[in-house]
Amino acid sequence: MLLEFDQVAIHLGGREILSPTSFGVRAGEFVCVIGPSGCGKTTLLRAASGFMPPTHGQVRRHGRPVQQPSREVAFVFQDYGRALLPWRTVASNVSLALEAARVPPAERPARIDRVLATVGLTAHAGKFPAQLSGGMQQRVQIARCLAQEPELLMMDEPFGALDAMTREGLQDELARLQREQGLTVMFVTHDLEEALYLGDRVIALRAHPAPGRPSLAAMVEVPLPRPRDQLATKESPEFLRLRRELYRFLGHD
Amino acid sequence: MKGRRMQGPSRRPALSARGAAPSDLLASVAMLAGLVALWWAASHGEWVSRVFLPTPELTLGSLRHGLGLGAAGEGAGDLAGYSLATLGRMVAGWVLAAVLGIGLGAAIGASASLRAWLGPTLEFIRPLPASAVIPLAISVFGLSSGMVLAVVAFGAMWPVLLATVQGLASVHPRLREVGAALQLSRLGFIVKIGLPAALPDILAGMRLALTVSLIVSVVGEMIASQPGLGQAILLAARAFRASDLFAGIALLGAIGFASNAALALAERRLLGWQRP
Amino acid sequence: MASRAAGQSPSRLRGPSGRIWPLWGRRLRPWLVPLLLVALLEAHARTLGRGSDALAAPSAALWAGWQLLRSGELLAATAFTLGSAAAGLALGAGCGAVAGLALGLMPRLSRASFLSIEMFRPLPSVALVPLAMLVFGFGLRMEMSVVAFATFWPMLVLAQAAVRQVEPGLIEVARALGLTPAARLTQIVLPASVPRLFVALRLCVAIALVVAVTVEIAANPHGVGYAMSLAQQSLDPASMLAWLAWIGVVGVAVNGAMLALQRRVERRMGGAA
Repeated sequence: MLLEFDQVAIHLGGREILSPTSFGVRAGEFVCVIGPSGCGKTTLLRAASGFMPPTHGQVRRHGRPVQQPSREVAFVFQDYGRALLPWRTVASNVSLALEAARVPPAERPARIDRVLATVGLTAHAGKFPAQLSGGMQQRVQIARCLAQEPELLMMDEPFGALDAMTREGLQDELARLQREQGLTVMFVTHDLEEALYLGDRVIALRAHPAPGRPSLAAMVEVPLPRPRDQLATKESPEFLRLRRELYRFLGHD
Repeated sequence: MKGRRMQGPSRRPALSARGAAPSDLLASVAMLAGLVALWWAASHGEWVSRVFLPTPELTLGSLRHGLGLGAAGEGAGDLAGYSLATLGRMVAGWVLAAVLGIGLGAAIGASASLRAWLGPTLEFIRPLPASAVIPLAISVFGLSSGMVLAVVAFGAMWPVLLATVQGLASVHPRLREVGAALQLSRLGFIVKIGLPAALPDILAGMRLALTVSLIVSVVGEMIASQPGLGQAILLAARAFRASDLFAGIALLGAIGFASNAALALAERRLLGWQRP
Repeated sequence: MASRAAGQSPSRLRGPSGRIWPLWGRRLRPWLVPLLLVALLEAHARTLGRGSDALAAPSAALWAGWQLLRSGELLAATAFTLGSAAAGLALGAGCGAVAGLALGLMPRLSRASFLSIEMFRPLPSVALVPLAMLVFGFGLRMEMSVVAFATFWPMLVLAQAAVRQVEPGLIEVARALGLTPAARLTQIVLPASVPRLFVALRLCVAIALVVAVTVEIAANPHGVGYAMSLAQQSLDPASMLAWLAWIGVVGVAVNGAMLALQRRVERRMGGAA
């Protein structure tokens, strides 16, 4: 078990956002967390990444409590525009991760090129973020995260601000990446279809937990075959069944 | 501390005016020429006493003589030397102020606790006229060139310091989190993320510091009787040498103009990424 | 960054380092560093710096300040400085606002005057002190004229910008409503510019005060700047320190008042968006 959530509860503003929740994430797994606004999915992700401590309970990585951010855990923010350094080029933005990790300068260009090739941005290495579209900017952020060579990739609604076509393209790229590099991914989204399309397992959270109605509403395995296809997979009976099963947890119950 | 505060939309001097159509340029030059003509008429027509308003020709003559560009055999005046003295003082003080201001500002601005402790004190110092410490500095250091330089640096430091603190405080939380996630050291964060993010603010502060350093240099020269344009124009006024006075004023204007233009150019280059 | 949970009782607040502060501590904190510095200065003046001509103990400065207040000197000097600053501001910012508004409304004229403005604007106002001395001698008019020059340019530039930055949508509405150009000016453009003009005014007030004090320190034998300079020359460090502190207080007070006024204006007329 790579990541363990042990009775993790989060209180904000005097209210309980997340009731004590426990589950684990295995190495190499793609876990998606869905839920309506206010269910605490983003705060859960941030707590797991060490940006904030949970109010109760503990998140453990390799058995050790997570107390602060680590290079092993890469975080992809939803507002990609704010997460990139506007005064640095694409290549230079990726280089930031290597500089922080004190990678020798001689090694950096090769690693940057490799990572940019993985996300398909080799041609734009010299451009500034402001010259790129939203989808490309998000890919730059992903590239920088990959440059960290993390074992865990945390993604907070990374494709939420993009148009549908770009989103689908990036979903497929992400799936391919995860397969090729054997990454463990925890992916937060409010889009049920996206969660089912990408994940090996989908965790559904409820908003406004109450006694008898814990935050963790459902946890289902997604045994759909890989590699997945935007058309075929989404038409498969299994997909539709899972979708129906989880639909009501998105603020419909 | 400031001698004069210029905030608001950034201004670019005429030299780098973009999109100036030829007709606009012509009109601009025409208006300037018109003003000079007005000056000529006013001075020759003695609308104002000759003692107060010299003619353009006389002013130009004083300028040329003072700068040593006059007719042979006239002997050169000291205006060139004075200009260099004032310019030198201004630039040296400004550079010192920039180094101190950015250094201290980075130290204070990067720490939220330091900001909270020192913030109100810094805000109290902001509206103080930079020249107000001159009497204190005279008491402590006496009348000397070093004293003036110290006051220039001290006065010009505050806009840069405040701007640096402000700039670092407004670094977006997302960038801080990126720094934390990459496990960037504190110094690494300041150098690679904080200061570059604060650069627009810092440059605005340095623009302000330039105005302050010129003003304090001139005032310092006037009070402490140090050789420079400040003292030169004071003496010219006392001796009723209007054309020399105007020549000195023109040179101060030129110094102000040139230094602002240079800084604006540098700013353009450094912030080029804002307009890709 | 202080994290304060909404709804949490304000009697205990978390400081930036995460330590919890009681509310009274939070109110006191801005004053601690200045008080510490004053205490250090006091200690120094009483021990190492005894009998110094340059530095005085803050307690002595306080006493000197009190004397100045009682004798009426403090108020008289402040009145002069504030008066000449205000007069110069009225003249300079007044003309600057009118000219700026005119230029903002007539783009062709604005483009033509660009060069001339950029030539004269960078001239430091203190350079005009000897000229003003020559023309007016010493006194109110001399100081007023330098302040006027100093406040004219920023107001000119900012007033122009204020008019130009009026929402184009508002202008279109005016046209659609069929307002005459004059009505459009008075009903739409001017009121829309007020928030920005006020911000410009606030800036010019600060400039006016600073320039007035600077002129007094440099040349004019009136006002608070001169009083401070005189105290230093008379080897009266307590009075000099008192004047210096008073200048600071006046500056903070005037700026604070302008800020409060600006908030009022913004509430009535919307912010300088």
